[in-house]
Amino acid sequence: MAFIEIKNLFKRFKKVVAVNRIHIDIAQGEMLTLLGPSGCGKTTTLRCIAGLERPEDGDIVIDGKSMVAEDFVQPSKRGIGMVFQNYAVWPHMKVVNNIIYGLKFQGFSKKEIRSKAEQVLDLVDLSGLEERYPGQLSGGQQQRVALARALVRNPKVLLLDEPLSNLDAKLREKMRFEIKSLVKRMGITSVYVTHDQAEAMVISDRIVVMESGNVVQIGNPEQIYQNPANRFVADFIGAMNFISGEIVRVLPDSGNVQVRTECSGNMLCQTPDMAATTSGKQVYASIRPEDVQILSNPPQETENLFKGTIAHRAYLGNFMFFFVNINGTMIRVQVPHHLPHEEGDEVYLFLNPQKCMILF
Amino acid sequence: MSRGDYSLSTFIWLIIAFLVIYPLSFLLVESFKIVETGGFGIGNFIEFFHDTYYLKTFANTLWLSTLVLLTSTLFGIPLAYILARYRQVGKTVFTALILLPIVLPAYAGVFAFIIFFGKFGTLNLLLMEAGIISTPINFIYGLHGLVFVQALHMLPFIVLSLAAGFTQIDPAFEEAAEVEGASGFRRFITITLPLCTPTYLAGAVIVFLWPFTDWLTPLILGQVDYLPSIAYINIAYHFTDMHRKYMGIVAVVVSSVVCISLFLLARWWVERKKYTGLSKGTTSEGRVIEPGILLKTASYLYMGLTAFIVLLIPIVLGLSAFSRRWVFSPFPTYWTLDNFRVILAESPLLIQNSFVFSAVALVFGIVFGLPAAYIIVRTRVRGKDALDFVITLMLAFPGMAVGVSYLLAFWNTIPLATHWMIMPLALFARRLPYFLRMAHSSYLQLDVSLEEASEVSGAGKLRTFFYISLPLLIKGVLVGVVMFFIMAFQEISTAIFLYRGGWETLPIGIFLNWHRGMEFGIAAAMAFLMIVITFILLLIISRIGGSILKAAWGPGSR
Repeated sequence: MAFIEIKNLFKRFKKVVAVNRIHIDIAQGEMLTLLGPSGCGKTTTLRCIAGLERPEDGDIVIDGKSMVAEDFVQPSKRGIGMVFQNYAVWPHMKVVNNIIYGLKFQGFSKKEIRSKAEQVLDLVDLSGLEERYPGQLSGGQQQRVALARALVRNPKVLLLDEPLSNLDAKLREKMRFEIKSLVKRMGITSVYVTHDQAEAMVISDRIVVMESGNVVQIGNPEQIYQNPANRFVADFIGAMNFISGEIVRVLPDSGNVQVRTECSGNMLCQTPDMAATTSGKQVYASIRPEDVQILSNPPQETENLFKGTIAHRAYLGNFMFFFVNINGTMIRVQVPHHLPHEEGDEVYLFLNPQKCMILF
Repeated sequence: MSRGDYSLSTFIWLIIAFLVIYPLSFLLVESFKIVETGGFGIGNFIEFFHDTYYLKTFANTLWLSTLVLLTSTLFGIPLAYILARYRQVGKTVFTALILLPIVLPAYAGVFAFIIFFGKFGTLNLLLMEAGIISTPINFIYGLHGLVFVQALHMLPFIVLSLAAGFTQIDPAFEEAAEVEGASGFRRFITITLPLCTPTYLAGAVIVFLWPFTDWLTPLILGQVDYLPSIAYINIAYHFTDMHRKYMGIVAVVVSSVVCISLFLLARWWVERKKYTGLSKGTTSEGRVIEPGILLKTASYLYMGLTAFIVLLIPIVLGLSAFSRRWVFSPFPTYWTLDNFRVILAESPLLIQNSFVFSAVALVFGIVFGLPAAYIIVRTRVRGKDALDFVITLMLAFPGMAVGVSYLLAFWNTIPLATHWMIMPLALFARRLPYFLRMAHSSYLQLDVSLEEASEVSGAGKLRTFFYISLPLLIKGVLVGVVMFFIMAFQEISTAIFLYRGGWETLPIGIFLNWHRGMEFGIAAAMAFLMIVITFILLLIISRIGGSILKAAWGPGSR
């Protein structure tokens, strides 16, 4: 039995459908990320869980209790903690008052409140700043106040709405790990919204990829990266070369498919879904840039070997990028070491059939 | 920073020195003059603060200010909340009606309310006819009437500033409170309202200062024991009794000091505690909610009632203007155009004066305001902040202080007060900030790179201003022009001290006709005429773009 069940959730703003009948189950203690471009419905889904939006249809069940379908439960009664994108730390209250705000409505004694505040301040490493006003804190510190405020009541569910997007790059990377270890240590079920795929990969147990109100794929980071459900997911998570073509032959024994591509004859690919793979179908032969091998001389293999010209090269320190032109199709190649090729050089690309897959 | 900027800044400072600093310091010096000996000292002030009567007027004024602020706040909070947060039809119309008193002259309101709420006014007569009461109720004469009239006049400032707060604060602040377990009224009290205090205060200080400025409303309502009213009486009626005149001047200075200090205090506090800009929400449209049917009905009733009271002003004055001998009957019985015939026959000069003085003041305003805005926004000339400060300070100065100081300063030493030019000059000095604010805020919105691109293309500063900046600023400038004109057109507090026979303006005509007692219809007709002219000018503003007005006068930019 899942701890949070999102069932058939439907929400629209005027004519625009923001969330289109999605289903997601979240296990107790799990850290789930809603990932997608802006306008995909991830924030709306999160706000529906919080109760800040009222869905038109469907239900959200938290710990066995219906939040929507039976009787709409107000956000103040849901027992959730939430970190807002812009922190929403109240500027007219001191740090400590921001944090204990919600505790005051729960009938704790003054002493209990103080000890809880001290604990959580220690947890987020803000001890000593309790008497400051938010205006006197840095962005990172305000972020911690927001986190402390969300955690102090020991919520059943923690919701995080792009909590790191307003921080600078270095701090953002550090906070990813901090948030993850903190939440895991406390064992809180959490839902995290982001449009940053790297952030999602670092922080999540499972990722839900969303596109225009629909769930496209749910899986752990490895599954999402290695077996993307479709072209959208493959493109959104990491980089991917897409070569459009048509299936000419299916080889059921090996699980391989032969694709006639527009740029240079046939390619051998894997298929993720044999049932949907039929001859004549328009597909994309896809391969990650780091899986393409770049060769100066033609090797023995003949399958998936193409000749092209280097159009662009870029040196980025820990790796190199090449864009190789094969009869008008640009293939992006990433190599982890330095290669002496210059723009205009003729090279061979080996698109390893084990790493090529077709996407629909 | 070019030499041109410096000479421009010098030119502006010279004007400020001549028209603002010189007369106001003259007033200050004069207040220390001891009449009996001809020397100087703090005797006048000591006497003022030892005299039980003056102390009483001072306390009265403070008490009135407090009551006016409390009343307008109490009635303003729900109005602002409804206008800012509820989704409903007819919002624009209601907003316009509720904000109307801001542009209607205060004295127009008093006249209308006397006719409607007076002892034998429409309401009392209707109630008596219906048999609900047997003797008339005193709705309007007295402190309660004064509070009502002034609070209604200042209500727009409260509503505007609070509504700005309600719409500008990041919705996430309130959502966070909801998630934390505080909903409804508790959230409103602990989060929403405190976060609105800075914007509220910006409007509240203007409201609080109004009783220190408005001498006419108490006078018309038969209440003279207030600082500005007693100052007016002492200076205007007792000019032969030098002692009383100087006590009047002291009263003006005391009022001004109170106004300036509170204004600065509020400004400092608002600057320190600006919450609205602190974090930018992702949902910028604020929180618009669909109220339940009960709340919705209640809010419509409430807005309707407020709008009705505001609309009484033009309606009652209109009825009065087109009738004669409207006494002891709830509605006029004898319709006529006589009042307007009298105005046009006997005093077309008043209308002409009003237009000429305001127009000349406007020309001064533009010639001064545009360069001043340029200096403040676009250059780094030293002292530009001081310039901004001095000009903004003029917002807080009571009109009477400007009038009296001009009378004193331009009498013997620089005998300008004998020439009619003193009238537009004084109007210009008094309404200075109104135009500048507009130009200022439009200038801030103009991307500097547009001007830089012109300069790079080879146009000089002056050419850039006329070919690039001015065409892009023109909307804001035009709204500023009309706003300035409305304000100058209605101005009475300054002009009343400076006019001589033949220089009377329409507001002065209204005052004199009321003062003579018998010609109430003519005063009402003049006031009605003013309202009509104001409406026409407002219509022009709304055609140009009302949003510019909001940008310039929203508390956020102050």
